[in-house]
Amino acid sequence: MSIAKYRSSPAAPDGIAEEARRLVRQAVDALGGMGRFVARGDTVWVKPNIGWDRRPEQAATTNPDLVAAIVEMCFQAGAGKVFVSDNPCNEAIRTFPRSGIQQAAEKAGARCYFLDERKFRRMAVKGKVLKDWEIYADVVEANKLINVPIVKHHSLTRATLGMKNLMGVAGGARNRMHQDPDNALADLAAFLKPVLVVVDAVRILTSNGPVGGSLADVKRADTVVASTDQVAADAFGATLLGVKPQQIGHILEASRRGLGKIDYGALSPTMLTI
Amino acid sequence: MISHGRPSGRPAVRQMAGRRTSWVVWFRRAIQSAFLLLFLYLFLQTVYHPINKAGWRVTLFFDLDPLVAITVWLAAHALVSSLLLSLITVAVTVFFGRWFCGWVCPFGTVHHLFSSFRGGKVKARLEAGGYTRWQRWKYYVLALFLGSALVGSNLAGWLDPFSFFYRSLATAVFPAVNLAAQKSFGWVYLIDPGVGKIRATAITEPAYDVLRHYFLAAQQPHYFWSLMIGLLFGAALALNFFRARFWCRYICPLGALLGVAGKNPVLRLVADPATCNDCRLCLADCQGGANPQAGEAWKPAECLYCWNCRSSCPSGSIAFRFEVPGVNKP
Amino acid sequence: MIKSAARWLVNFFRPPPESGLDLTRRSLITSGLAGVGGGLLFGIHPLAGGKSFNPDLVRPPGAVPEEEFLGRCIRCGECMKVCPTNAVQPTLLEAGLSGMWSPVLKMRMGYCEYECTLCTQVCPTKAISELAVEEKQKVKIGLAYIDRNRCLPYALARTCIVCEEHCPTPKKAIWFEETDVLNIRGEKVRVKQPHVDPDLCIGCGICENKCPVADRAAILVTSVGETRNPKNQTLLPL
Repeated sequence: MSIAKYRSSPAAPDGIAEEARRLVRQAVDALGGMGRFVARGDTVWVKPNIGWDRRPEQAATTNPDLVAAIVEMCFQAGAGKVFVSDNPCNEAIRTFPRSGIQQAAEKAGARCYFLDERKFRRMAVKGKVLKDWEIYADVVEANKLINVPIVKHHSLTRATLGMKNLMGVAGGARNRMHQDPDNALADLAAFLKPVLVVVDAVRILTSNGPVGGSLADVKRADTVVASTDQVAADAFGATLLGVKPQQIGHILEASRRGLGKIDYGALSPTMLTI
Repeated sequence: MISHGRPSGRPAVRQMAGRRTSWVVWFRRAIQSAFLLLFLYLFLQTVYHPINKAGWRVTLFFDLDPLVAITVWLAAHALVSSLLLSLITVAVTVFFGRWFCGWVCPFGTVHHLFSSFRGGKVKARLEAGGYTRWQRWKYYVLALFLGSALVGSNLAGWLDPFSFFYRSLATAVFPAVNLAAQKSFGWVYLIDPGVGKIRATAITEPAYDVLRHYFLAAQQPHYFWSLMIGLLFGAALALNFFRARFWCRYICPLGALLGVAGKNPVLRLVADPATCNDCRLCLADCQGGANPQAGEAWKPAECLYCWNCRSSCPSGSIAFRFEVPGVNKP
Repeated sequence: MIKSAARWLVNFFRPPPESGLDLTRRSLITSGLAGVGGGLLFGIHPLAGGKSFNPDLVRPPGAVPEEEFLGRCIRCGECMKVCPTNAVQPTLLEAGLSGMWSPVLKMRMGYCEYECTLCTQVCPTKAISELAVEEKQKVKIGLAYIDRNRCLPYALARTCIVCEEHCPTPKKAIWFEETDVLNIRGEKVRVKQPHVDPDLCIGCGICENKCPVADRAAILVTSVGETRNPKNQTLLPL
């Protein structure tokens, strides 16, 4: 696990773009570089948060430059194909371009396309509450899954981080998962097991999440976290919102199931200041 | 094979084997196609583009529609500035007659297309071609709409050709096309036919991608009452098998309005009875039911200026000339 | 030249009988009056006179008041085509017979996207007048209300708040009452029960659209509170 923090907090969009790229590169390099996760010829599925019809500065969706940098790193590590996509809550024709992720990902060489309804297949998730569920086939069939969430407040789960972000790989009646989010999210996390989680905390949404809208709710944390432990990554992300990871039900449940360590300190994360 | 004398109802024989269609008719078909394609293009452009703007000027045809302008003015007491473009349509019609119907109106072009599918022997077309009193009904429809607009109820949109066409495309035709594509490509995807490594989906999936990118909707659209609206559209098109350009002749309130404006045009049809051999091919090919043949009174308010009569006439008896009515009359 | 033009003008209004229009003045006047009569009958309908309001008639944002709307709307379907969520649908009788095929928002089909103004841009007659995004975000097209008989935290002792999750207003128009309820086994369950804030709610409908009660949502948008109709209101500004 590595946690990279920017010393300054540039205001200009170019500055923020540069910051995001440098942070993610340093964070991943500190783990041994993308080559540790992506093998030559791999099909990689990068799963950012493209869920909402918002602009990047509103911090409802993942930072587009961060996504672009991850795509570039995948290709540099020898990936054959890189897909960037999401099953959004608002309409994809709006969320993909307005979040800036479609343009950034395509520029970096990834295939960024709207999900095809036909490719959602009922899969045996074999979880506690999700016995089987519609999951996007291409994600499961890809070689590697990289989860790229953004840190946001959420009224039900208190925070939406990596494990919540995995809902964007699921189809069907996702709006029912909220009846037992702790177990549902842990089930998804156990089933999908991303090879790498990169948490976007350059801009975070501190209240009125997960949709946001007001720039007053956006704070600069100027941080990027890279980890192979999705629970630890989420646990650290929660602290940025001023919430104890133990207060977040699905992080606690995932930790109890052995999916990762809620005490991220025990992983001795590499702290980087750039 | 030239028949003389009074119209006897004997079937005329096509004397035009090898005769070329007038260049005007080909030009007219090109212009009609262009406007139809433009309409369809604007239809497809009425969609979200990544800068929160719909496509360029997607309402162009409605802006040119004087029926819309007048009924909105009557019913809402408002002059919509973009609709002032329709004054151009009216001005042109006053001088050149219902040229708009014959050359521009995309719904008219669709009716024209369906009428041509009718085919049929000349005799059948003759029986269906001429002017009938029923063509008055579109004026009654127009009066009805103007009357109700006067008291605030704008119903013109029900039968305005652009509204009718666009609404049918949006709520019925386009969603049906999308569904057809989804089902057929989805069926191939599911069955996955092929031999060994050569699979049909290698061709169909990229083709489907291209279609979805340029023509089809991002998500399958769903609309209430699509069956009703679709059936009405189908019925309107099917009526062309009964009479050529049925809608344009009997129903269209915009055609009626333009007929009123264009009842005394400067560009007039002149048929010379002296050279006319009474074959009545002009009548068989007349789209508007305007009585183009020599010896009959040409009806300028019904004429769509399609130029078929002049093109079909084997003896060159029909011509369109600039004349001021009442001055140059023979 | 001028003589010809003058002659032409005269002939336009008094054409020779064979050309011109084959209509009788009587039949024309009759149809005109029929139109007037029909229009008047439509005007008697309670919806037309502003005597009653159809809760299901949620018009697009920027729609002018109903009487003017029915005068302007030409039922072209441009708004129905452009709506990115497929929310705008043709009415049959929701607006009375005279409003047939004019647009209405059906929130189970789609919802009014918060930062979208596409329908206001494409209306040819400005029945839906053009709005800037900031203006649109202040226009109420209706209000959401919660059906406590169906809403999960009220009726079934289960957590949910999908409605609040999706609410797009920067300060959410749905707030919670955190309370304990008894579930079917008699156990106490802590749930967040949603309430709508009618001052903030703009009636966009994403709550109704995403509500997990799949057939008839537990949170519904109705037309009351719509900005365009000062009579179709419920609150006293406090």
